[in-house]
Amino acid sequence: MNKRLYLKQRLPMVLLQAVCMAALSFFLYLNGNSTDSILLILLAWVLVLGIFLGTTYLARKKRMEKLLALTEQLEERYLISEVMEEPRQAEDLVWYRILKMADKSMLEKIGEVERERSEYKEYIEQWIHEIKTPIAAMKLICENRRLEDAGQQNVEKRRLEDAGRQNCENRHSEVTRQMLVELEKTSHYTEQALYYARSEHTEKDYSVREISLFPVVHRAIAENKYLLLKQGVRLMVEEEEVSVFSDEKWLCFILNQLIVNAVKYGGKEPAIRFYARREENRRILCIEDNGIGIPEEDLPRIFEKGFTGKNGRTAENNATGIGLYLCKRLCEKLDIGIHAESSEKGTVISLSFRINEWIYQVQGD
Amino acid sequence: MKYKIAVIEDDSVIRSELEKMLVGNQYEVNALTDFSNAAENVREWKPHLVLLDIRLPGESGFSICSEIRSFSDMPVIFVTSSNTDMDELNSIMLGGDAFITKPYNQAILLAKIASLLKRAYPADGQEQLSVCGAVLHLENSSVSYGEKTVELTKTEVKLLAYLFRHAGSICARSDMVEYLWDNQMYVDDNALSVNINRIREKLSSIGLKDFIKTKHRQGYLV
Repeated sequence: MNKRLYLKQRLPMVLLQAVCMAALSFFLYLNGNSTDSILLILLAWVLVLGIFLGTTYLARKKRMEKLLALTEQLEERYLISEVMEEPRQAEDLVWYRILKMADKSMLEKIGEVERERSEYKEYIEQWIHEIKTPIAAMKLICENRRLEDAGQQNVEKRRLEDAGRQNCENRHSEVTRQMLVELEKTSHYTEQALYYARSEHTEKDYSVREISLFPVVHRAIAENKYLLLKQGVRLMVEEEEVSVFSDEKWLCFILNQLIVNAVKYGGKEPAIRFYARREENRRILCIEDNGIGIPEEDLPRIFEKGFTGKNGRTAENNATGIGLYLCKRLCEKLDIGIHAESSEKGTVISLSFRINEWIYQVQGD
Repeated sequence: MKYKIAVIEDDSVIRSELEKMLVGNQYEVNALTDFSNAAENVREWKPHLVLLDIRLPGESGFSICSEIRSFSDMPVIFVTSSNTDMDELNSIMLGGDAFITKPYNQAILLAKIASLLKRAYPADGQEQLSVCGAVLHLENSSVSYGEKTVELTKTEVKLLAYLFRHAGSICARSDMVEYLWDNQMYVDDNALSVNINRIREKLSSIGLKDFIKTKHRQGYLV
């Protein structure tokens, strides 16, 4: 509390007292009192006034500082009116009531927003689960149709050598293949939405256990099979037995995103290489591509939300700036270090898993 | 012998397409449409494996699974659209053998089915395929014709197995590449030609000349 400001605001009262003092001195003087006795009375007066001002100031200051400290300690500061003790002074009481009212309406608002948010999140999750059924159905239809075509093609072939018909069938199978690529994209985007909805909330939906790295890599590749085949991506998986502690589902999603990115920003003869490195206390999985790379000035910002960069802003790429941001967030939750290095010859993304050597020694790995 | 698989799934499109896919992969399929006494039906029909959806109208896949578990320990695969940890945990607790989320990857689903069947019903005898006197031994990756035998690499075995299984029909190159991808061998079109040529050389070394025929612009034929 500012001392000067406090005293300045007490000025009218002090002035009033001064006027009273002058009036009293004048009155006593007229009644024939001696100057000494008048001075004594004035001195006592000033003393009492000083003590009064000093003590009220100190008491007030102490009270206010206590309140301030209490507020600063609170995690949710808007709840201060719930914890502070009721003030005694009439004016303070009004302020206290106003604070209470403001708090109450804010709490109601927060509750409402929170409820809406969780309802919306619930709806999104439910919607994603529902949309997966038709996607699964479409996928199955396409894959079955493709096999059927192949079968039909052969029957047809043996029955009559009809070149026109043959072409038509071939095209048909080409169409289903394209559909499958698009379906892969669709399911990737739905997954992205699901993980976004989940990553924004603190609740835990993962279970960390010991998993083998490369089967997850294979799974992520399988989920992008049609895309990779269509783009003619050369894959090199330098498989070895590496186990880490992590969540398979989340890891698969992260790898999925990295594969999609590698294809999206791939070069003329796209290739992706997966390999593992062992370091003390760490296992590192690297995903290397030979694509167009990331400009140096963009590199530090690629994991930021909504950052698209030079490469992402071109018309055909149309980046949203969500994918890598999500990867980063999920990695943070799983305690995986994610790091990107890039040059014009390509990009290496490395995921580094912390492992506890001590556990391995005990287990005799 | 054909393995029998029961499909318990409420979405009619997925049900019929799953049925189609499984039949296409040489399984005998029974897709249930009435879920009120699904477990009873399973008990009567005695399938080798059950594909079970978790969310069914009026029933829960979990309760069906525990009912099935009361009389049989056949493999049960949960297929579902919700991939929460709770559901996964539940499915494991109730004795489900695998948990696959929609939209499922066909290759993964088929591989899971095959491996569960193999584990639950160990095949008696050796695994081999034969076409016109040529015998492919999957267990030691070799092919023999008459007296002679030649060793094959991992990729070559898979390729030959695919051709043997589709003997008499044309196998499109793209389908073969996809099949190899499903088996985690990421070869491209050129590598496929290289592999086919190597197989041809090996086959002719044991007296099988022109065993794999090339159908121009279509694929290969055994």
